[in-house]
Amino acid sequence: MSAIEDLVTELSRLPTIGKKSALRLTYHLLKQPPEQSRRLAQVLGTLTERVRLCERCFNLTEEQPCTICKDPRRDAATICVVEEASDIAAVERTGEYRGVYHVLGGRLSPLDGIGPDELTVTALVQRVGAGGIREVIVATNPKLEGEATALYVQEQLSSLGVLVSRIALGMPVGGDLEYADGVTIAQAIASRRQMR
Amino acid sequence: MRLLESDSLVLHSFDYRETSRIVRIATRDAGVLSVIARGARRPKSPFGSAIDLFTSGVAHVRVNPARDLHTLTGFDATRSRSELAGSLARFTAASAVAELCLRFANEDDSGRVHDAATSVLDAIGVATPDDVPAIALAGAWRVVAELGFAPSLDQCATCHADLVADEPVTFDHRAGGALCARCARLGPRGRLFPAEARETLRAWLDGTESALGDSSTRRAHQRLLREFLEEHLADGKPLRAFATWEAQSFSHAPAEHA
Repeated sequence: MSAIEDLVTELSRLPTIGKKSALRLTYHLLKQPPEQSRRLAQVLGTLTERVRLCERCFNLTEEQPCTICKDPRRDAATICVVEEASDIAAVERTGEYRGVYHVLGGRLSPLDGIGPDELTVTALVQRVGAGGIREVIVATNPKLEGEATALYVQEQLSSLGVLVSRIALGMPVGGDLEYADGVTIAQAIASRRQMR
Repeated sequence: MRLLESDSLVLHSFDYRETSRIVRIATRDAGVLSVIARGARRPKSPFGSAIDLFTSGVAHVRVNPARDLHTLTGFDATRSRSELAGSLARFTAASAVAELCLRFANEDDSGRVHDAATSVLDAIGVATPDDVPAIALAGAWRVVAELGFAPSLDQCATCHADLVADEPVTFDHRAGGALCARCARLGPRGRLFPAEARETLRAWLDGTESALGDSSTRRAHQRLLREFLEEHLADGKPLRAFATWEAQSFSHAPAEHA
């Protein structure tokens, strides 16, 4: 296999990159000064060497524990459980949450070969069981797999005496009732809250 | 290119590129289809939550006869099955049934897979965790029977001799069912199949409920079904949802107090 084919094959393994895009990127790199490609290769090498999973929350980090876990201004008694490390960035963008996180590494999806043993639920149970945790907020995605994962997490934590809550599900902010689908409206009604 | 409008059940879905999803649906009129739902991951997608796993509805599909991937232009959800997420037992069992439909079904099953899978998922959705294995196993065997793969239980799968009803026999996956004593001796491949297990399987294939006894009986039936499917699935790929279902049944109790 040629060097060009090698790179096209590797690039096309990336999400959203098909064979055509991979070929386009390969020719783009070949047109650039060699230094730029070397720099890219170096950065990729450094990335895999330096970035690890946080041993406490399984976030991606270059230091142990990660910056969120070791930040003394954060509320270490509240854990937000998310599916992927990228979900942390989404919650952080809100600027509303000051607790810490736990990354499950996916969601239950037996059809894709992901069962409880493929997730970090046991580590979460051990973390909560060690004490000092007041609340666990389960923020898995509001799909059936996400709900199954949330209920499994809740079941595993049920005997540990901590408050387990679920992020609210329902109408999106700025959405129109008229255009929402029936399942979303039903969820919103089921998750309604009292107005004070 | 033709337009298809059919009662459908979402069996599997996964993200495709930045904004789309590929969904595998069991339709009543065209068997199991792979369709692309363009833009389904956008926040204001017209699909909304309609194409969530195990949702029933009316699918609007632009069918391209020259391709294996068709285009989903709309999905009017009529029933979501959030109750299947209510316990790991239900969720993994439902996934195993979906995997069976995905792997066995084709585009010409006259809606049998759709109807069988829908009724099995509904039954699993209201079952207690203890009842889930029997209901899921019964449903899975019913799907197998609808697809024409039902094992032979009352006649020898090899020589077609009648078998005595209340005696243990040998079950040979490759032969396609129970064997008489003579054929079992000639090809010693199968496993012992007790009379009670044969009776239970017969009831399930007939569409009758039959409870399972202890956990070892349940485990034996799960293994029998998995081995049968593995034998008759030509592609050799592992049955991942089945493996998760079997593993889940025996190892995931809630954590004890620290």
